[in-house]
Amino acid sequence: MRSKRFEALEARPIKKDGFVKEWPEVGLIAMNSDLDPKPSIKVEDGKIVEMDGKKRDDFDMLDQFIADHAIHIEDAEEAMAIPSIDIANKLVDIHVPRKDIIKITTAVTPAKMTEVLGYMSVLEMMMAQNKMRARLMPSNQCHVTNVKDNMVQIAADAAEAAIRGFDEQETTVGIARYAPFNALGIMVGANCGRPGILTQCSVEEATELDMGMRGFTAYAETISVYGTEQVFMDGDDTPYSKAFLASAYASRGLKMRFTSGSGSEVQMGYAEGHSMLYLEARCLYVTRGAGVQGTQNGSVSCVGVPAAVPGGIREILAENLLAACLDLECASSNDQTFTHSDLRRVARSLMQMVPGTDYICSGYSSTPNYDNMFAGSNWDAHDYDDWNVIQRDLRIDAGLQPITEDALVEARAKAARAIQGLFKGMGLPEITDEEVEAATYADGSKDMPDRDVVADLKAIEDMMNRGVTAVDFIKALDKEGFHDVAQSIFNIQYIKCAGDYLHTASKLSSDWEVISAVNYKNDYHGVGTGYQISEERWKQISDLPWADDPETI
Amino acid sequence: MTQEQMLEQIVKQVMASMSSGSAASAPSDDVKVTDADYPLGEKRPELITSATGIPLKELTLEKVLDGTLKAEDLRINPKTLELQAQVADSVGRDAFGINLRRAAELIAVPDARVLEIYNALRPYRSTKEELEAIADELETKYSAKVCAQLVREAAYIGYKRKRTKEFK
Amino acid sequence: MAVNEELLKSIIADVVKEMSADAPAEKPAEAPKAAPVDEGPAETLVLTPDGEAQKGTAADEVIIGVSAQFGAEQQNNIIGVPHAKIMKELIAGIEEEGMKARVVKVYRSGDVAVIGHDCAELSGSGVAIGIQSRGTCLIHQADLPQLGNLELFPQCPLIDLDTYRQIGKNAALYAKGESPNPVPVKNDQMARPAFQARAALLYLKEVQSVVLGKKPVNMKVSYK
Repeated sequence: MRSKRFEALEARPIKKDGFVKEWPEVGLIAMNSDLDPKPSIKVEDGKIVEMDGKKRDDFDMLDQFIADHAIHIEDAEEAMAIPSIDIANKLVDIHVPRKDIIKITTAVTPAKMTEVLGYMSVLEMMMAQNKMRARLMPSNQCHVTNVKDNMVQIAADAAEAAIRGFDEQETTVGIARYAPFNALGIMVGANCGRPGILTQCSVEEATELDMGMRGFTAYAETISVYGTEQVFMDGDDTPYSKAFLASAYASRGLKMRFTSGSGSEVQMGYAEGHSMLYLEARCLYVTRGAGVQGTQNGSVSCVGVPAAVPGGIREILAENLLAACLDLECASSNDQTFTHSDLRRVARSLMQMVPGTDYICSGYSSTPNYDNMFAGSNWDAHDYDDWNVIQRDLRIDAGLQPITEDALVEARAKAARAIQGLFKGMGLPEITDEEVEAATYADGSKDMPDRDVVADLKAIEDMMNRGVTAVDFIKALDKEGFHDVAQSIFNIQYIKCAGDYLHTASKLSSDWEVISAVNYKNDYHGVGTGYQISEERWKQISDLPWADDPETI
Repeated sequence: MTQEQMLEQIVKQVMASMSSGSAASAPSDDVKVTDADYPLGEKRPELITSATGIPLKELTLEKVLDGTLKAEDLRINPKTLELQAQVADSVGRDAFGINLRRAAELIAVPDARVLEIYNALRPYRSTKEELEAIADELETKYSAKVCAQLVREAAYIGYKRKRTKEFK
Repeated sequence: MAVNEELLKSIIADVVKEMSADAPAEKPAEAPKAAPVDEGPAETLVLTPDGEAQKGTAADEVIIGVSAQFGAEQQNNIIGVPHAKIMKELIAGIEEEGMKARVVKVYRSGDVAVIGHDCAELSGSGVAIGIQSRGTCLIHQADLPQLGNLELFPQCPLIDLDTYRQIGKNAALYAKGESPNPVPVKNDQMARPAFQARAALLYLKEVQSVVLGKKPVNMKVSYK
């Protein structure tokens, strides 16, 4: 006979999640693996000749790149001599300022930092994260996609997401060739919601750069790096090609960050018997060595792997913290489904929501998850009110605020009309009034009419062959009467020309001020310091439109 | 954005462009900046011109609309990237500064060639010799010394690790 | 919002919905589909090496590029669908469009993009399907970047036999120079929590058979 209690427990969502036992020999272990290299360094004539137990002659491409570019060699031997437990204590200690820690963490090796983090509990890591975040205030980023690659819906969802508080927005494609339309949809839509939103379109590396150069996007983030040489090769890159790509972006005035995350090496079959955290440490040192301002990390799309092994969620927090320790902007994932359990997905996100990171989600789904083309986010449009209430409950600023239905309809309608105008002005396939109407009131692509996909793809090919740029978008928007939107798209080009937003952890205010870790440094040094929620901001967060009002009830 | 906010934004921009008319002299090579000058676009706009030499404050929507400004007039100038690299240095971000200096060198390289070089650096795409030729091209044709150094390192370690075209 | 307006909007929305639901019916009726080949007892796929794969010259050729353990150490995809059935559907889809299938095994990598792209470069038409043992697949074309593709089906637990058939068919249509409607992309955000760790395990096994530098090999297809 079966236990009714056990049967009840078996029916719970958590039982649908996949779990596996550790298998350290192939890298199926989160952190604290006995098989990870022991930290070591040897410097001769200003060159690292041994690192983490390996001689220079045995270095693979990652070792070589890290040793030559990512470590402050002049401070290295001294920093490596500090016991790892002491560095861990400094990370938690409010009396040790961020900059003193950076001096140490940028002079040690990946194995050393893996060891340091291995000593810390999640609570200690959250304390450290609060202090080590690069930008003074946290922020948030969303995904804007849909199954149909419908750009009108993308524009409307982007506008809504903008007024809900997302400072950065990312789209991608179901069908790769749709990328230029999706990129236009999100850029125009987001900046209809509020001026100064940075947008990107995640596609193949070279295509993404090409779109950035032409002004379809304002930044890029899915420039992937991996923790072992073989996986790097399967990702079709090397640390050197990625470093060159980083410079190519900056040369065209485009902000960018790399992407990495634990589990990818296991997922791609070549973890070389190392823990997920150690391999992620290598990724982050490569990122730093390439001179990239930041990273999107925290397992990201491979989250199902660390989440399936013991201590995996702790490891994810550890890798976000490590990014901050290397003075990198951190867009801290929380962007991919990893569980059927609502309890579990909140617990996972509190690790970043409470201390705050530069971008807490690097993709909160601004649509229902069925439309999320990043294979589903940990948070979606139907969770907006939950997120807002959690902020209000804990008095934390996790980037969003409640909005009214009128504001939502107004923003979505404007965005849908603007993309309609842009298409008309550029002679692209018609966006009908019915589509505008549907996008204005839609929840997801099930509420959208189908488009003629073949005609769209043909038009995209023609448009790209014509060599259109932001100048064409600006002119078309203005011609069709969207002068303020044209102004915003122009302002993005202006910002690129000035280059300020290339700096660490940048975002733009609605009046186009660049806010980054240069002019808004995180100065946390104890209770009541660092970022504090202002009166005005607290009112935005706490003022739930549906809460009972003692004065009027 | 409400009408009011829009109006406010336009007024702000007009005022900013008026004040820049009387601004200081053109950027000179010996100007050094730090995080105190940041954001440069706001605090030191007189130091910035577009890739084609147009002062930052003269880049306006109106000039795009009337055709005076082309896409290439909105591109970033190598000198601007050097200034931003100095800001990076001043806050201890040396590796980021080097990236910006590599970027400054790449401005002279046409879009298509940048993409080609990137693709050539990917695994198994080029022989060691081909990569070394690219490094020479970057150095001699575009004076891109820091970039050339990176490509040479890639050629060396790529060949050593059997990740160049010879080993496909 | 006024009630009348709301009513009007719901009417418009309904009309739009109806119109879009009607749309497919206006297209010419599709040729009747051949009966799915997934009946009968499960067979085992046998792939027999048939010499190093060379660049094809026949313009009517579509390559099915398979990973190292496909139809060998592994015989089923991530949800237990036999490789034999998957192979039959892919080939049937290609042949349905009057094109010919060649099966090539790629050893140098287990990555689906590498498999697909390497085979596209070998394919007489320049088009290939790449597929891993766990079932992840894509349609690739020689002149695209390796990490680009014509169509990608990343969530292997969601690909059913009918979809594999359509993938074969679409690959053939691209090979003929046509622009088919892409096979509808299936999306289930709960595939990752349920399957990602298992997908990793299967891939970890797959790459045990990867041999760096080994050339792709033609495969004769039979079933037992």
